[in-house]
Amino acid sequence: MLNEEKVRYMTQLAIFEKNQGKKIFPINRYFKKDYVGGQMFRSFFGYTFCYLLVLLMWVIYKLDKLLNDMSIDEILDAGERWGVIYGAGLVIYLLITWIVYSRRYDHAARSQSMYVSKLKHLMKRYEKDKSERMRDNRGGRAR
Amino acid sequence: MTSLLLWKEHLKGFYNRYSYGIQPVIRFLFALCTFLCLNANIGYMSKLKNPLVVVLVCLVSALLPYGAIVFLAGCLLIAHVFAVSPEMALITLVLILTVAVLYYGFKPGDSFLMVLTPLAFLFKIPYAVPLLVGLGGSLASVIPVGCGVFLYYLVMYVKQNAGVLTSETSVDLVQKYSQILKSVLFNQTMMVMIATCAVGIIIVYLIRRLSMDYAWVVAIAAGSVAELLVIFVGDFVFGVTVAVGELILGILLSVAIAVVYNFFIFTVDYTRTEHVQFEDDDYYYYVKAVPKMNVSTPDVKVQKISTRKRSTRERNEY
Repeated sequence: MLNEEKVRYMTQLAIFEKNQGKKIFPINRYFKKDYVGGQMFRSFFGYTFCYLLVLLMWVIYKLDKLLNDMSIDEILDAGERWGVIYGAGLVIYLLITWIVYSRRYDHAARSQSMYVSKLKHLMKRYEKDKSERMRDNRGGRAR
Repeated sequence: MTSLLLWKEHLKGFYNRYSYGIQPVIRFLFALCTFLCLNANIGYMSKLKNPLVVVLVCLVSALLPYGAIVFLAGCLLIAHVFAVSPEMALITLVLILTVAVLYYGFKPGDSFLMVLTPLAFLFKIPYAVPLLVGLGGSLASVIPVGCGVFLYYLVMYVKQNAGVLTSETSVDLVQKYSQILKSVLFNQTMMVMIATCAVGIIIVYLIRRLSMDYAWVVAIAAGSVAELLVIFVGDFVFGVTVAVGELILGILLSVAIAVVYNFFIFTVDYTRTEHVQFEDDDYYYYVKAVPKMNVSTPDVKVQKISTRKRSTRERNEY
């Protein structure tokens, strides 16, 4: 006979796996430090790539001036300015990455523990059912 | 009101029953609208304007997630712009790549806003976007909306200056590139519109999260007023001209759209608000519970009661 509580639990678990599983299970394979560190490493390359793209655009934009009018001092000044922009932007971007992915990790850890407790509950139900079935069959003759 | 709520329940029921069919249709219409608008405004690559190509791409888009549709729209945009001016296409590509790497690296799931915002501008209801995003999104959505505004003005720039951009004049490549960059990046109308959208989103988002009564309605009103104020400030400070009739009509339409959204997403009955207070070992709780306005749809069943046909024998007896 169908056990409604078990069906309800299994449905909840299946829905959770379908909606959240792809996001949560890969995250929980790592320690928090490794996960957030990996994302920050990726962000570093992403930011640097975008910075270089923007810098390239600026260089083309100022190419005329760079080749004709700009003195060495002005070029050095501009380089310093762009360096400061790169450094400050990188720090801010990495900070945002750290905040976002730390929160995501915490959320995933909480969700995973909830999922595991539901699984444990379901397993207990199975064990209870099994023991009840064995008790009912005790003393019976095999047919 | 009850009939409206009933109608809403019917719509919800209809959506629940046919959501597997409705979602691809919505994605198809979204893609169709986007590609047709792009082709109508900057359709300079004739091969991509072929209706068969558009329909095929839209059919494929119906099966893809919104992120992939936005990617396709971005490719189409760059292809059209490239047909007019490779320099312009480079600027567009750099912008899209930068946003894709820096913002969409976090996978926020709101990429459709980058397309929806220019569409709203084309349909003359740009003020609806901040209201809707503020009501249903997060503060981070300021970024895709801002990029959407930029893309709209970029498309408009290409449309208005296609002749100049394609002409093979004596202006050299670097000069042409500088000119384009200056016109596109330092467009004051665009700046004012980005500020309008950002302020609108922030105000609506902050107010609708307050625990006061009618927070969503107040947020819509305050957001609309804030948008108007920013445009007036832009008008006075930067001399940005906005057609008054279009502005007022756009704001009114946007408010109407936001009210409809509010009706579908957040219909509550503030007259039956409950304030309860309790405690546990760690906290005191001051809870405000606002009941949702719900009506149960009447389950109407038409039953025909027909009298039993008399048999020939019964008829003959009379």
